[in-house]
Amino acid sequence: MSFLCLHNPAWLAEPPVTLHAPLLTIVPRVLSAGDLVWADLRGLPVRETTERVRNAFTAHNAIYSSVKCGVASTAIAAEVAARYSQQSVTYVRAGYDRDFLAPFPATVLAPERALANLLDGTGVEFCRDLARLSQESVEVRLGAEGVKLWRLARADDARRIFGSMPRALPEASLEWTDYAIRRAERLVFVINALFGNVCEALKSRGEGALAVTISFALANRTTLDHPIRAARATAGQIAWMRLVRLEIERIVFPDAVTGITLRVDITSGTGGRQGDVFDRGFGSESAAEEALGQLMDDQGSIGVEPENSAHPLLDRRTAWTSLSATRLMERAHIYAASLSRNGETALTLQLLPEPQGISVATFRRRGDEIPRTYRDARATYDIVEAAGPDRVSGGRWDDAYAREYFRCVLEDGSLVWLYRDARTGLWYLHGWWD
Amino acid sequence: MAASSALRDLRELLDLKFPDAVPLQRHRTEVVATGIDELDGIFPSGGFPRGRLSVWAPGGGATAVLRSACRSAVAGGERAVWIDGGGTMAGAFWDAGPILIRPGSRLQALRAAESLLRSGGFAVVVLAGADPEGTENVRLSRAAHESGSVCVALTSSATTSALRASSSIRPHGYVWRRDPHGDAAAIDAATIEVRISSLGWNRRARLVLPVRRDEPRMALPIDLPDRRGAR
Repeated sequence: MSFLCLHNPAWLAEPPVTLHAPLLTIVPRVLSAGDLVWADLRGLPVRETTERVRNAFTAHNAIYSSVKCGVASTAIAAEVAARYSQQSVTYVRAGYDRDFLAPFPATVLAPERALANLLDGTGVEFCRDLARLSQESVEVRLGAEGVKLWRLARADDARRIFGSMPRALPEASLEWTDYAIRRAERLVFVINALFGNVCEALKSRGEGALAVTISFALANRTTLDHPIRAARATAGQIAWMRLVRLEIERIVFPDAVTGITLRVDITSGTGGRQGDVFDRGFGSESAAEEALGQLMDDQGSIGVEPENSAHPLLDRRTAWTSLSATRLMERAHIYAASLSRNGETALTLQLLPEPQGISVATFRRRGDEIPRTYRDARATYDIVEAAGPDRVSGGRWDDAYAREYFRCVLEDGSLVWLYRDARTGLWYLHGWWD
Repeated sequence: MAASSALRDLRELLDLKFPDAVPLQRHRTEVVATGIDELDGIFPSGGFPRGRLSVWAPGGGATAVLRSACRSAVAGGERAVWIDGGGTMAGAFWDAGPILIRPGSRLQALRAAESLLRSGGFAVVVLAGADPEGTENVRLSRAAHESGSVCVALTSSATTSALRASSSIRPHGYVWRRDPHGDAAAIDAATIEVRISSLGWNRRARLVLPVRRDEPRMALPIDLPDRRGAR
């Protein structure tokens, strides 16, 4: 028996929504629909649960004592039992739903007016009369709606009263009362055991966790939640423990820990995308993504892509955007399809992370000071040829800048980029071409 | 006796004495081409050998050549990763294609190189700005060997490398554009001399590469319209 249907005409005016909470302590799913309330009895002891539900109604409000119940393995039988049976509780024996419906008039199946007239005209009065007919004859005479009604008369009810149950995400917990733990190493030991269970559950579902929350129950009866997020969905215990070891050292516990709950917050499928036989890198894609993900878990967001603005200063033009391992792989896949082997190969600028201060000897050329030699912390370099100055200035107040850039060829053939800060008169080595 | 006939006799003698030996030129190993035809011709098998550690001395156009090799691998449907250990890659000049990794330290860069190599998911791994030393070279060589990937380190130390390369530009190897006064105004191209050496192999090539320059906007805040020259 799966369905418990409760009926009370008074619910049309006042749906019993306040009773949902107490009912949900008895049955897993409850649904109000007009003058009916449905309860899911799958897997529960039928009579005992039905009594508990009825008691919940009567205990809550006397008006609900007039509730009638129908219990059946099909929704239509349970509904008809609740609406039309004379008894306060009707149990329809499993497998006998069609027999139960047979003596009821066909109108209990709630046909539309036109269909009810057709049934009346053809002499179909009871459910048994309709159920006895063949599907073809019903389809020819009464159409698709008639077939639906015919199915209901045969207790063949395909309605999904309750939606699908959301899958609970894996979690694991451990509590201890005799002692309290303060040392991180012992907590890591416990968390490792909990992650073992959670990762096994994830693997059995074919999923990986993207975010996990560790809840620490503290001796002062409070809870400290600490979320951890991985760069990519993984069910790997080692990968998660690596993250935990990094995180746990930063957590400050206000009191000793008396329990830990590990809860998966977000999961994602770990399956790869559809393969491409012409993609040489496809076979190793998951390995590459796994390696990138682990690298980012270890070292942070080191996979980057530049986002360039129109700022006049090259060193302030680029903002490095961190990308997840999955995004990096997606980009790589896109570029593989669009890149040409014979793109331009050129010497490009390499920039020092910070411009390096140098001392420069200059000569005058058409009114400009042109560098002749420069000296850094290690050596002196003779400049063979220098192009410039390329003047760049702008900004406001403290952010103002004014620079004179020179492209200089050194004696060893290197092409370096020097500039003079026109506001301070200091010289800097900014980069080189390579 | 002419030199050609002497050489032929010598080859016949070698074939007789060492029938199983294969001349170095006929060795075929899996490679990743640089994408520059003049350069691929001077590599022992036409490109960077897979499963081996190669080193390229920094400077003299090394970055340009290695970026070309990365692009060649990506265009071939494989993956390439550039580990920018020194944080010197200018974002404005970065061409999409290879995956760019910017680790925080030299050690992290080496770890990144090793773990990415061991994954076997990358055809080319370039390590720039983090010189591997001593046993670090051995570890990288082993990782490259196990994965079958090309590993190129931009470094001068080459203790366990299978292939060594260096490139240089002569001071007068630049093609300048001059202003009306005859002074240097812009550089259009540079002639690069590349030397590839391996066991029993030493080749040189000269190639001309364009020089990409930053075109500065020459003043004005970025949020103001540039009205210079407007009437």
